[in-house]
Amino acid sequence: VLYLIWAYVPETWLFSLGLTYWPQKYWAVALPVYLLVAIGIGYILLFGINMMSTAPLNSTHTITDNYAKKQQQKKFQEEAIPALRDIPISEVNRMFFLPEK
Amino acid sequence: MEERRYRSASGAPIALRRRQHSASCRELAVRGPRLQLRSLSALTSAVWLAAYGLFVLSQNSMVLSAAIFITLIGLIIYLHFVKIDQESLLVIGSLGIQVTSSYASGKESTTFIEMGQVKDVVINEAIHMQKVIYYLCILLQDPGDPQGVSEVVPLFQSSKPRLDCLIEVYKSCQEILEQRKTAPQSS
Repeated sequence: VLYLIWAYVPETWLFSLGLTYWPQKYWAVALPVYLLVAIGIGYILLFGINMMSTAPLNSTHTITDNYAKKQQQKKFQEEAIPALRDIPISEVNRMFFLPEK
Repeated sequence: MEERRYRSASGAPIALRRRQHSASCRELAVRGPRLQLRSLSALTSAVWLAAYGLFVLSQNSMVLSAAIFITLIGLIIYLHFVKIDQESLLVIGSLGIQVTSSYASGKESTTFIEMGQVKDVVINEAIHMQKVIYYLCILLQDPGDPQGVSEVVPLFQSSKPRLDCLIEVYKSCQEILEQRKTAPQSS
């Protein structure tokens, strides 16, 4: 509300009230413009940051990560659902691509 | 020796050639399309017409010779450093894997990975330039940790084949890699 009052009331009226030390009126328009341009560039910047932090094709992050390397092997129990674990990529490949049936 | 046609990830036609040299040695070569005459002439005419337009505007004849130089040098650089005609994979059981890229100008660059370092050859999928692609890669063994992977070497990077071609190459490689598990003492 204070912002709107400051933006719309002409300078002479404010001077007559005794309030002389306000920022220049130029900023009433400049700040919203800065804000909107920053929001627009933020879209592009976020897209760029996403592309840059995608792991390249030759990094091991496409195959495993710290949690998978440190996982513990749970004991195999008969008649029970196997525990959830990260299956190594060689096993997954063999299961998908090798069976001839 | 057989040759089959497939498509690359971007739709270009590629051909896979399989050769079996011996029981434990196979060569798989993926050949991309050659440089098309129509795209080359279209690009050259566009550049030269633009240069002629600039010449008419500025009356500076250096523009024309500069355009000719740029076209020639750009073509040579493209053929020698960028355009890969054929990528081939030579798998020799108990010795290693050799990866060769042949450029359009005849240059060949090879990389050899010995079998002790190779953990496995797998088909991995990853995000690449706003697409998810399948690509074949060699997993290198971590010397300290028998279960760990120290490095990933992607193959067939310029002629990205699709999954059907990759499955053929994967099956061929796995047949040779299985032999090293069943006969570890024979080397």
